[in-house]
Amino acid sequence: MNLKNNLTLGIESTAHTWSVGIVDFSGKVLSLVNDTFIPEKGGIHPILVKEQHLNNFMGIINKALDDASISIKDIDLIAFSKSPGLGQILKIGAHVARMLSQLLGIPIVGVNHCIAHIEIGRFLCKIDDPLTLYVSGGNTIVSAYESGRYQIFGETLDIPVGNLIDSFARDVGIPHPGGPKVEALARKSDNYLRLPYVVKGMDLSFSGLYSAAKRLIESKDYKNKYTLNDIANSLQETAFAMLTEVTERALAHTGKSEVLLTGGVAANKRLQEMVRYISKEHGARFEVVPLKYAGDNGAMIAWTGILRYKAIGGNTLSETQINPKERMDQITIPWRS
Amino acid sequence: MSNEIIVEKLIHKGAEASLYYGSWFGKEAIFKKRIPKGYRIEQIDKILRYNRTLNEAKALIRVKNYGVLVPPVYEIDIENSTIVMKYIKGEKLKDILNSLTTTKKVQYLKEIGKIIAYLHKNGHIHGDITTSNIILTPTQELFIIDFGLHDYSDSIEDKSTDLHLFKRVLISSHGSDYTICFDAFLEGYREGYGIEKINECRDILKNISIIETRGRYVKKEDRL
Repeated sequence: MNLKNNLTLGIESTAHTWSVGIVDFSGKVLSLVNDTFIPEKGGIHPILVKEQHLNNFMGIINKALDDASISIKDIDLIAFSKSPGLGQILKIGAHVARMLSQLLGIPIVGVNHCIAHIEIGRFLCKIDDPLTLYVSGGNTIVSAYESGRYQIFGETLDIPVGNLIDSFARDVGIPHPGGPKVEALARKSDNYLRLPYVVKGMDLSFSGLYSAAKRLIESKDYKNKYTLNDIANSLQETAFAMLTEVTERALAHTGKSEVLLTGGVAANKRLQEMVRYISKEHGARFEVVPLKYAGDNGAMIAWTGILRYKAIGGNTLSETQINPKERMDQITIPWRS
Repeated sequence: MSNEIIVEKLIHKGAEASLYYGSWFGKEAIFKKRIPKGYRIEQIDKILRYNRTLNEAKALIRVKNYGVLVPPVYEIDIENSTIVMKYIKGEKLKDILNSLTTTKKVQYLKEIGKIIAYLHKNGHIHGDITTSNIILTPTQELFIIDFGLHDYSDSIEDKSTDLHLFKRVLISSHGSDYTICFDAFLEGYREGYGIEKINECRDILKNISIIETRGRYVKKEDRL
């Protein structure tokens, strides 16, 4: 197929962010537009997110095209997030991508969201073969490339670390997203209240930590013997020490010489500090994915779509079925083998 | 015989502890020192190092009763979170497994299965069974090391979690021969668990796949 402009439109729709990125085949990001659902109260309700995305998707696509000063007809390749995520939301991205692909008569690539997080990090940070700590509201994964796949060395056994922080924030009345606020509170305290530290081999468990933090808030000692800042500090210190320990162990096990921190929680300065520390100790280069590209975004989907397209071409329409529960270690990586 | 303690050199820097080679009253020894971790706050660091050193030393001493080969403990220095133990000459299984013949792989993995069964049958959970934590000596004996995440438990769940971790390590680091290796391991495990506890063993092995299906992002047809 003859591609005119080498432009790819990437659609990210796995959870609360609908994002469209336009990226050319060299990796240059021409535009990136995000629309994020922010709940008035409670968590991310799929039905409400779906409503918002369905209302806004075309506007966001148009804005991305405008920002890149191109027309939809200039697009040569469509990439979309096909897994993992909330089924209802993945479907919107898949439908829109299929429609555009057929309407414009251009190839389509379905991308695994977690792999896209790693690939955009590798590209932007100019890293070749990192051990990746991917921490967000939906995932907590320590991964590295081995035997043709992004193998998972450690992961959460229950809730992701971003979910732990968000849920805790919600319980104490901090609106979504709670991460930055909890980080700010934690910085104001040096007090540590003992919380459960659960590392099982290379895997982590955060649900007990969440319950324990919740009990601290409900206790009659709260605001007498300790403050919210103390709990925030203890929560962060415990959760991040667990993450760092597992990352360090995976680093020692795989012997990789680069460490990549990505996902929404990568924005946390304290976590960065801890992971940078162990990277340095093991003589590994440490990189944090730039904030704009660390969270969910369409540019990473576009870029990963480009990698796959360059290696083995696009997907057939029947291969673009969404898969809400797909693990990244089930997928072979043709562009790296 | 020398009556000195000499720490000669750092031979391995692990994620958790540093291993120093030296001599302990004339004997070749390994000093396993849990070093303070600068990334975590002192309160967490102290609790973890203290508990893990003590836990590991106790475990090393206890599991010897069940015919499991582990380095004998010479001394426990809790203040410096250090365990002094016998130096075991040999190679990490991780480094040599992929280059072994299939027959050897099956032989060793079966033996490892047995060893882990002895531990489990007697209520010991290793907690970090990886091929990095198994040493093959020149006399072809298999030593299990690093009891840092050891725990006591009789629950099916904990035992299967232990096996599940080993399965994952085999897949991620020794992918091509994973099936042969894991099958041999399970065969040894069943044998080691013995006929008198065959039902318990069956439940443990069955529970491995339940743990997998419980995991995140499992294919629909594999879910329960």
